[in-house]
Amino acid sequence: MHATFTIWSKHMAKFVRNGEESVGLALQSVLWVVLFGVGMRGMVGEINGSDYMSYVLPGIIALSALGGAAGGGIILLDERLRGIMKEYLVAPIPRLSILLGNAASTATKSLLQALVMLIAGLLMGAQLSFNPLGWLGAIVLLIIFAIGFAGLALAVASVSRTIMGYHGMIFLFNIPLLFASNALYPIDVLPSWMRWIVLVNPTTYLIDAIRTLAFGSPASLSLWLSFSVISIFTVISMWLALIAFKRSVRM
Amino acid sequence: MAETAIVAQGLRKHYGDTIAVDGIDLEVAAHSIYALLGPNGAGKTTTINMLTTLVPPSAGSAQVAGFDIVKAADRVRERIGVTFQDIVLDRDLTGRQLLDIHGRLYRQSAAERRKRMADLVDLVQLNDVIDRRVNTYSGGMKRRLELARGLMTDPEVLFLDEPTQGLDPQNRVGIWEYVRRLNKERGLTVLLTTHYMDEAEEVAHQVGIIDHGKLIVSGTPASLVSNEGGDLLRITASGDLEAAAACFRQLPVVQSAEVSPSNKQIEVLLEHANKHLAALLAASAQIDFQIEEILLSRPTLADVFLRYTGRALRD
Repeated sequence: MHATFTIWSKHMAKFVRNGEESVGLALQSVLWVVLFGVGMRGMVGEINGSDYMSYVLPGIIALSALGGAAGGGIILLDERLRGIMKEYLVAPIPRLSILLGNAASTATKSLLQALVMLIAGLLMGAQLSFNPLGWLGAIVLLIIFAIGFAGLALAVASVSRTIMGYHGMIFLFNIPLLFASNALYPIDVLPSWMRWIVLVNPTTYLIDAIRTLAFGSPASLSLWLSFSVISIFTVISMWLALIAFKRSVRM
Repeated sequence: MAETAIVAQGLRKHYGDTIAVDGIDLEVAAHSIYALLGPNGAGKTTTINMLTTLVPPSAGSAQVAGFDIVKAADRVRERIGVTFQDIVLDRDLTGRQLLDIHGRLYRQSAAERRKRMADLVDLVQLNDVIDRRVNTYSGGMKRRLELARGLMTDPEVLFLDEPTQGLDPQNRVGIWEYVRRLNKERGLTVLLTTHYMDEAEEVAHQVGIIDHGKLIVSGTPASLVSNEGGDLLRITASGDLEAAAACFRQLPVVQSAEVSPSNKQIEVLLEHANKHLAALLAASAQIDFQIEEILLSRPTLADVFLRYTGRALRD
């Protein structure tokens, strides 16, 4: 636990210090909301009784968490390729704490990013429902989700030999996760074959839950189902990451 | 700690068909400095990687600071400090942040970390730059910072994989000075690898030469060098060289004495030439023989190294 915290705080210290990364991430978030949200709003208007900005904001937040997870993988890969990892590996700390420290800093950044997006979204006219408990639930779900995808990215980062190879693999994941979900459009408009894909995508459950908890849209999937799917996904992906990581460092 | 800080029995590591380390037996006495020498690719780094629990051995076993490197890896990790062959520092952090994070990984308290940092930064003379980012450091500063990091947790055994590689003479001398001081004052056990034979000869109590994954020979630098044979005296002189050489051969300490082909020098092979020089000169006093210059050359660890590992270049 202390090692997880130490590694988390190291990454956060570097994040705060590195203006390119932190300012870039914040601007990216604002651009997503403003450019994409506004552009689509002109075309779509309203979905399921809520304005498009409120509809699409949880989607954009989830997608940026995916991007954040990819960034977390880069950090691990970079530490691996440059040998910095060896410092952790000869220290008396569990291997898992290295991954958890990385996932924790990834989730923290995602949370900060979500906050920036939320503010931008509210300024652009999104309607938050007043439900503090729901907000808390949404935040917890977002954290679990971010850790889950950080896990997948870490698994890929553990087996990649180069930064380019890692990017290739991650894009392969990111595109279906983005478009085969309910992030940008409701499930009902999709053909049934695609609906199946959307329903095995954990992103769908997160987005639906956030819409319900924080923006007051009627749930199209039950909250408990969403919570279970996201939690199970996260446990499995961290487990995969640990197996891949242990294999890669035993060389 | 036990009397032996490091024991390895039949330590082996292979990657597929490639054998990196082929059954090494090693014993390093507590509170001593042991230098592992060998050409590139001989298996030095792999051996260190196994002893520091970075990679598990394919066969054999080893104990470091009294604990098994596989079964009690965490106990070993708590007791060792390591610097790796490549410089592995997070360049975006300051020296102080880097040392602090290292101490935290080992659960040192804030007070303990502050104290260790103050001492070590003093030792490796980084006071002026410790709050600067590491990417502004020179190669020598980085190495010294790594040494400080390896010592941060007050280890029983310190592993240094080519700690002076690529450094200028000032930094090399500095690094060895720190190592010797820590060994003398704190009884720190050190296992190091290096390519600089003169440095190994000077700093190490024991050396082991490793090649093709095997430990070929080990012992004190002095004993290995003395096995190399005696010292060579080159005496440049004029006069009756043949008679002088014959006279030298009479002395029991002289192994051989020959006039060189150039006919201006006598080459005398003997042990401890510095002690017997006077007797040698006295013996030649009756002969018509004027000495112009005497050169003494003794075998070095480099000669030992080349004899055991050959002169062929390695890839």
